[in-house]
Formats: sequence, C-alpha cells, structure tokens
Amino acid sequence: MREAVRRVADAMQTADPSVSTLIDLAEQGDEVSAGRLFTLLYAELHRLAKHQLARQGEISISATTLIHETYLDMAAREGQSFPDQGRFMAYAARVMRGLIIDHVRNRLAVKRGGTFELTSLTTDVGEITSDDRELTRMSHALDQLARVDSSLSQIVDLKFFCGFSFGEIANMKGLSERTVQRKWEKARIYLHRSLRADLPL
Amino acid sequence: MSTLTPDQWQEVSPYLDEVLEIVPEQRAAWLLSLNEIDARLASLVRALLDEQQQLEREGFLERSPLSLAGSRLAGQTFGAYTLVSQIGQGGMGSVWLAQRSDGRFERQAAVKFVSLALTGRATEERFKREGSILGRLTHPHIAELLDAGISADGIPYLILEYVDGESIDHYSDRHQLDVEARIRLFLDVLSAVAEAHANLIVHRDIKPSNVLVRNDGQVKLLDFGIAKLLVHEDDASLAPTVLTMEAGGALTPRFAAPEQVAGGIVTTATDVYALGVLLFFLLTGQHPAGENKHSPADLVKAIVEVEAPRAFEIVSGASNSAEKRSTTPEKLRRLLSGDLDTILGKALKKNPQERYASVTAFADDLRRYLKREAISVRPDTFSYRAAKFLRRNRAVVAFTSIALALVIGSLSTGLYVANRQRKIAEQRFAQVRQLANKFVDIDSKIRGLQGSTQVRLQMVSDSLQYLRSLESEGHMDKDLALDIAFAYVKVAHAQGDPTSPNLGQFAEAKQNLAQASKFVDAILADDATNRRALFIATTIAHDRMVLAGDQGDQDEALRDAAATASLIQRFMNTHPTETHDLYSMRYFYSNVAGRYYVARHFDDAIRYCQQGLDVPVPNKQGNGFILTVLAAARWQAGDLDGALKTTAKALELEKAEAAGGHASLRINLANGYDLEGEVLGRADAEPSLGRSQEALSEFQKALDIAEDLAKKDADDYLGRHNVADASLEIGNILRHSNPQDALAVYDHALVRIREAKSSVSTQRDEADLLAASSYAVRWLGRDEEARQRIARASELLNQAGRYPVDKVEPMSATYDAMRASADDYAETGQTDKAIVAYQELLDKLMAWKPDPQNDLRDATCISRTWTALASLLRRSGRTEEAERLEAQRTELWNRWSGKLPNAQFLLRQSLSQIATASAFAQEK
Repeated sequence: MREAVRRVADAMQTADPSVSTLIDLAEQGDEVSAGRLFTLLYAELHRLAKHQLARQGEISISATTLIHETYLDMAAREGQSFPDQGRFMAYAARVMRGLIIDHVRNRLAVKRGGTFELTSLTTDVGEITSDDRELTRMSHALDQLARVDSSLSQIVDLKFFCGFSFGEIANMKGLSERTVQRKWEKARIYLHRSLRADLPL
Repeated sequence: MSTLTPDQWQEVSPYLDEVLEIVPEQRAAWLLSLNEIDARLASLVRALLDEQQQLEREGFLERSPLSLAGSRLAGQTFGAYTLVSQIGQGGMGSVWLAQRSDGRFERQAAVKFVSLALTGRATEERFKREGSILGRLTHPHIAELLDAGISADGIPYLILEYVDGESIDHYSDRHQLDVEARIRLFLDVLSAVAEAHANLIVHRDIKPSNVLVRNDGQVKLLDFGIAKLLVHEDDASLAPTVLTMEAGGALTPRFAAPEQVAGGIVTTATDVYALGVLLFFLLTGQHPAGENKHSPADLVKAIVEVEAPRAFEIVSGASNSAEKRSTTPEKLRRLLSGDLDTILGKALKKNPQERYASVTAFADDLRRYLKREAISVRPDTFSYRAAKFLRRNRAVVAFTSIALALVIGSLSTGLYVANRQRKIAEQRFAQVRQLANKFVDIDSKIRGLQGSTQVRLQMVSDSLQYLRSLESEGHMDKDLALDIAFAYVKVAHAQGDPTSPNLGQFAEAKQNLAQASKFVDAILADDATNRRALFIATTIAHDRMVLAGDQGDQDEALRDAAATASLIQRFMNTHPTETHDLYSMRYFYSNVAGRYYVARHFDDAIRYCQQGLDVPVPNKQGNGFILTVLAAARWQAGDLDGALKTTAKALELEKAEAAGGHASLRINLANGYDLEGEVLGRADAEPSLGRSQEALSEFQKALDIAEDLAKKDADDYLGRHNVADASLEIGNILRHSNPQDALAVYDHALVRIREAKSSVSTQRDEADLLAASSYAVRWLGRDEEARQRIARASELLNQAGRYPVDKVEPMSATYDAMRASADDYAETGQTDKAIVAYQELLDKLMAWKPDPQNDLRDATCISRTWTALASLLRRSGRTEEAERLEAQRTELWNRWSGKLPNAQFLLRQSLSQIATASAFAQEK
C-alpha cells in the first residue's frame, strides 16, 4: 500500500545549485535548469556590461570583450568547479544573443536613460543590425536551427553575436577551423532561407 | 522559396557538407552526378548553392563583431551643470568637462563618474551629506568639490572645480625643476593638506595624479576625502583609498600606507606617509617600494615589510632623473643625503606614530632645510630601518588577503578598524573567511569522487584543529565569531548532510553544529536581531533537524523543527530582502513542514507550508514541493477537497518545472499525480473522494513518467519505486473489474523493481506488489500461486526485518501482507484461520497505538480491519462479536462526521455500512 509519508520523506529537497551544476543539468536535458542558467548568465552579462560602460563613459565595449570578462569574473568567483570555457561559451553565447537583441530593442524604443546602445564598428551596409525585428526573426530562425542541428546555431551565436574568430571557435568546440567555416556556411544558408522565406523572390 | 523543413534539412545536410568541401569549379560535375541519383535533391542543393553565392554578395551576417556602447552623456545635466565632453579616464571612472546649465558663471567644472564597481552601497543621502561636508573646504590649492550626487541611472558622480593642469611630477619633469623648486611646489601641497587636516578631513588618496599644477604654476589638489564618500560605513572597502587604477586597468596599492593595507585606522598620519611617498617620487623619480614590483601582492608586501631605500641610493648614472632635476647624478646624490634623507625617513616611517605628527611639522622642517637651518629631526641611528611596526605574520596575512582580494576582483575584504585588542582578530579574520570558502570550494569539487573520502576527512580534521586554535585566543570580534560558526556549519555539512554524499560522521557533525551554535548563541544573547547570526542559527537548527531525522531520532527532529520554525520567524522579522536569504527561508520552511508531516502532525505541517508559501521569493517556481506537502497534509487531516485543490496547484507548478525535465523534478511530478490519484479515489475505502476512474488516469500518468525514468537509468531505485507505487494503485483499482489486466500491471512492476539493486526498500516494494497481486491471481483461479506469492512476500519482509513484528503500522507493507494472507484464507473457505489471522492483525495494529479519533489514516485502516473481521465473524455465526465491532465502527464514523460534516468519503463509508448490513440481512 502507498504511503504518502514515505514519499515526502524521500523527496526532502536540496538547496539551490551552482552554475556548474546548472550546466550539468542543462546538458542532461533539464530545461528548468537551462532556464535558470539563462537567467543567471543574462544577469551577469548585463551587470558586467553596465559596470564597464559606467566606467568608460561613452566608449563602447565589444561583445567579445564582454563575454570574456564575464567568464573570467564568474570563474574567479566560483572557483575550481567552474566549467571550462568551451562549455560555458555554449550557453553564454546564446544568452549574449538575447542580450544584444534586447538592447537593440531598448535603444529603438522611446526610453529615458537607456544604458545601452548597439553600434557596429563598421559602417552600415544593410539594415539588419539596426532593426530589432529582423534580429528577432533571426533569433527565432536560430532557435529552429538549434532544434535540427545545435552546433550550427551555436556557431552563429559565437561568431556573429559574440565576435569570436573561426580559430577561437574551433578551439572551443574541438573542431578544425575548416569544419567551423563549413558549418558557418551551412548555417548562413539556412538562415538566409528562413529570413527571406516570406519575401517575394 | 521557402524555409527548409527539419526533414528536408536532415536530408540535404550531408550533401551540403560534401559539396561545400569541393572547390567551386568542380561543383558542377558533382551536381550532375547527384542529379543522376536523385534529381529532386540535386535541384535543392543547386538552389542552396546559388543562394549561398547571393548571400556572399550581400555580406549576410558578415557585420561583426557587434558592440555595446554607453549612453550618450553629452548634453545631460547633473546638478546645475551640463556635460560638454569627455576629458579623460580617471582611476575611478570617466571624467567630463561641464558647464553651468544656466550660464550664470563662466565657471567650468569636471564631473567625475565613479565606477559602480567601486561604490559598494553608496546611498544618495550619504553621498550628498558627505559631499556637503567636503564642499566646505576652501583653499587656493584645493580643487573645490561643488556637488555630489547619484544619477538617475544609479551612477554616483562628483562635480569638481575644473583644473586645467598636469600632474605634479609631469609638470616638474617638463620644466626640469631642480630640487629646491620641487620642494617649494611641494610646500604648496602641504599647505593644502594642512588646511584640510585643520578641518578634520583626511585626503586618504594623495598621489601624483591627484596633485595638479596649472600652467601658471598654481598647485591644485583634487579629490580631497572623496575616498570617504565611497566607502560604506560598515564595510571598510579597500578600493578607493588604497587601490590605484593603473593604465592597464589593474588596481594596485602603489601609494598606500602600511596601515592602510594592513587594515589600520586611516588618520592624518596616513596622509603624511603619502606625502612622503610623493616627495620621494618628486625627488628621485621612483617609488620608495621600487619599480620592479609587478604583482600587487608583491607591492603590498613591499609596502608593509620592506624598508624604503635611501633616496640617494636610488639615483644612478643611468637614468635621466638628474637631468630632469637640472643637475648631475653626483650632485643629486649629495642633495638627497643629509637632511632631506632624514626628513623623508621621518615621513615614511612604517609606524604612523613615528612619523611627523602633523603636516605643518613636515612643512616646517622642509622650510628650515630650504633656509639651511637645522631641522627638528635627528637622524635615527638605525635610520628608517627601525623596528618593524607590524609583526611579520600580520603582514603576511594582510598580503594574502589583499592578494586574494585583488586576484578575485572583490574589493571588499572587510578589514577592521585597528584596535590593540583586535590585532589577532584582524589576522585571523581573513584566514577564517578563506577557510570557509576554500573548504566549500574544494569539498564540493571532490565530494562524490571515488577515493576522495580520505582527503575530505583530512580537510575536516585540519579545519577543526584550526578553528579550535582560534577559539583559545579569546576575545573575539562579532563578525569573526560568526565566520567561525559558519565554518563549523560547513564542516558539519561535509560530515553528515544526508542530501548529498557525506562522510557518514554523524555524531561528529552533530558536535560541530553544537560548536557553531555556541558562537551564534553568544552573539544573539547580546544582539538578538543580528541578521547574520540569525541566519546562521536557523541554518544550524535546520541542519540538526535533518540530521536527527535521518538518524531516526524523531523526537529530537521535532524539537529541532520547532526551533527552526521559531528562528525563521525571528529572521523574517528583521525584514530581509536578499533573494538568496528568502529562498533559503522558504527551503527551510519546506523541510520543517515535511518533518512535521512525517511525524503526522498535519496541522503544523499545513501551517508551515503556508508560511513557506508566504515568503516573498521573486520566483514562484520551486513552490511545487511545498504544495505537495501541503496537499498530502490536508488529505491526511481529512480536508480532501482542500487537498485536491492543492494537488491541482502543485501539479500545475510541477508540470511547469518538470517539462522536459531532470529526473528529480519528474519524480516530483509523478508524486504529484500519484497524490492526486490517491485523493481522487482508491479502490478501498481510503479517505478519498471516490472518483476511481479519474484516479486511474492520474495513476496511469504517474506510471508513465516513472516507467520512462526507470528505462533511462539502470541503477535508479527511485524511478522503479515510483513504478511500483503507481502500479499498485492502478492494480488495486483495476483488479475488481479486470484481474487479468491488473495482474499484468503488477507483474510488470515486479520486473522493474527486481532490476534495482536489492535493498530494504526494494524488498518492501516487492512484498507490497506480491501481496497485492495475490488477489488478482486468486480471482483468476490460481489459488496455489496466490499462496506462493504471499509466502514470498512474507519472506521478503522477514529479510527486511519487518516481519514478524509485534506492532504493525497502519497501511504499511507488513499490514498489506498480513491482510493478503488473511484474505487468502477467507476467500478459500478457511474462515477460522482467517479470523485468527485478522485477530492477530488487529491486535498488532492496536499495539502500535494508533489514534483513530484524530488521525484519519489510522481511522480508515482500523475501520477496514474491523469490517473484514466482522463479516468473517458473522459468517462463522459469531454475531455478537461482529455486532460489537460494527458498533465500534459506527461510533468512530459518527465522531468523524461531526468533524467533517460534508466529506464525501464519509458518505461512502456509511453507504458501505448500509450495504454490508443489508447484504447480511439478505444472506440470512
């Protein structure tokens, strides 16, 4: 016969997990932990960006620097159990995508005292990065791509949103640079299709 | 042109891989050969390749890297000023040129933004208050502080008189000022500092970049006492007073006085030291601690331990320092020996008390030197290599803690104000804090690793030794005591926390918790609302409760639960706002409630669940567990409708939490369904709402989840246990209508449970299943097999130490097995044996001392047993005995219906009563 008593005793809870635990759980497919991880990383990136910018005034901070600094900052705080860069970046890059899109949106909204702006270092060639709707659609497309082949969407996050080079990405993922380039090409094809899908030929 | 479906992508992906590897010239050929094999696919690939060319031309996604920029500050107003342009990057933040917004004066100001990382918890009010104190300083050589505040974005800013000049050392070098000229300039600096000191303001941060000289030669000191604005009162942060931002962004304590780095009081003597360093620098071009100290930690060590070299020793022929001072190396050396050497020595004494008592005294001696008069100080026979002020190990500690702080990037090491009696505390403080953190770090990394036990045991023993040695030093600071207490808690955790791999040293863990509470209680006796102490005390009580519960000491566990609850309340009364604290309190409440539940104190369990739900955590996720306990408690206490409502809520939350989820979360969900199933209805007259069909579907869901988990993890007991539980429920409902299917369910569960490693728990589950399945088997006509199953069940329980026993707990596995055996006799016509078996069961039930008047589970169990026995007695013709039992039962339920007037299940009870009575009436 069932005993609810036993059940409750069995289920005595444990306290909140650390980042490395969250990553472990997320990698095992636990979406709740992945969600928590996302929130945590987002907060960290945001905070660090705010600090850097408050210090520097109007000077911009590159996404690459920001994500590096965040990694160092968090790793220093959490100590030896903190996961290595490769694993960290897989999640952080996705979060960075969210952060950037959010801030493009903020900038475009009529808002007092927005602390961020998104600028690109080279002159505008098209409208993509200035338009948050386009970026949002790209993000959706990337999420879809992630369901089919997650390594491709990760590479886009790492290269386009975080600014890592092919070489750096190759190191992080344990692939050859050539493979990374090829994946980048495939991803671009997929995204291009997705984004242009409802536009007339 | 449309988006590729996942299937299309899967199909085309490997071909893309291949074709992208081929050089463009050869792709046409490749495509042709693909076309032979699969034309449709080939045309898709071709189309994609064409697109690729197009997107290359567009430069699709090439625009990278992206960056983020700060808000446009130009044109924004701060106080009465409007920002014009950025003029530089200070050590603390960016600096902007600003003009008065109303254009009233020509005056320009410099607006300094202070990096958020340095301000800790500066509040606007304090900022303004301190700012107004500093603003009162007026002196020709002090750059006035015009305003201070915090911007709308929360960034602190300072508005200062704008000084268009360069740092004193650059100015001096550029103009190649000789020693005398430099000293005269320096005297201006001294007069400014003297004025501030007369106003009881200490600069705290004198360094070349804060001493500017205008083109007209006018000296202006910046940032007077600003460091004080940035230091939180309770949290004497090192940052602005001691750490200078170097060009590369690294923070170093280049100009700090020894007492600053070692955590002493900052006084006017500290300024004297800094002035000494500045003078040394001006005269020799070098820092007294030397130039080749790279790491901040080394620098600290140098500042604290190493005597400064004599000024004249530094001057060498190689550098052009003499040139910058319009002289030759030999002359410079001569100038710097003698009285100047003595004066510098006096300013740079490690011991603040041995320095110039005031800046004025310092200035006087310099003036005497310039006039070639005798100075006040006699050279020390040991020069300024005097006995070290600081004991060696204090320096090492300071250095370690600074090094740690700098490396980690945390700017608050919380150093104490110096006090003769607290010397030891200061020393030890950093070590204790490191200890607690390091311990957790290393321990959490290695726990669970094979073979780590020895190491962990060693660490525990080392830590304990250390902690004990601290206590013997006596007279401890409050915070230090709390740190020690916390360290003990961590150690105890490693020794015996049942929710993670522990060392199994439960007695020791208990002891260490007791140690910890000694410290905490002492603090609380003195300061009953010390939040940190309350937090640690609550943690201790909670850990004790868990430990006791795990060890089986229920009474102790309950006492601890009560203690924990009252401490949580006290903690909450201090109005904590930190998210982490709130989560912890909720977590504690949930376990307290769970503990009361296990002890069957349902009202208390309910109450603590409510309180746990009331804790204002920002995210309601994670409430699933509390809601489950609440539902179960309500159910057991007889509030079935309430229980059902709560299970619905719990399920909702748990579904959200478990979607996709990790094993433990899905188990919670399975439990949730299970509970809902039980509340909705069981086959027998359990407290339930009689909704068997709904129940069946809930149990089925629970079973599906549990099955899933069991399949995934070969070693997992928990999943299999849940399969067993859910299967029992389903089987018990099904067997009345379809024994064949029920048997299949039971047998499948048996397969599963036997997959798990054998233990007391698996034996119990297996026994349960075997006993339950015996009914189905018998109803399919296989009597012999039924008996075998029951025998096997008893055997298993015997192995598990649960049979035979003197007392039987209601609804336990033993109860079920005994009942199955008794029912087996009853249903195979062996009425006498059945009666004996039921009598024995009843006796043993009663021996357990149930409380049927107040505990619904006990009531239902006993009622069922009476019912079964009564009907057997009737069959045997022992009517009087039967009637007595039935009367007892009726009375029991009458009392209960008084308590729970509309409970459905009670209705069912009375209906079944009526049914039994009428059945017998018919039989007769």
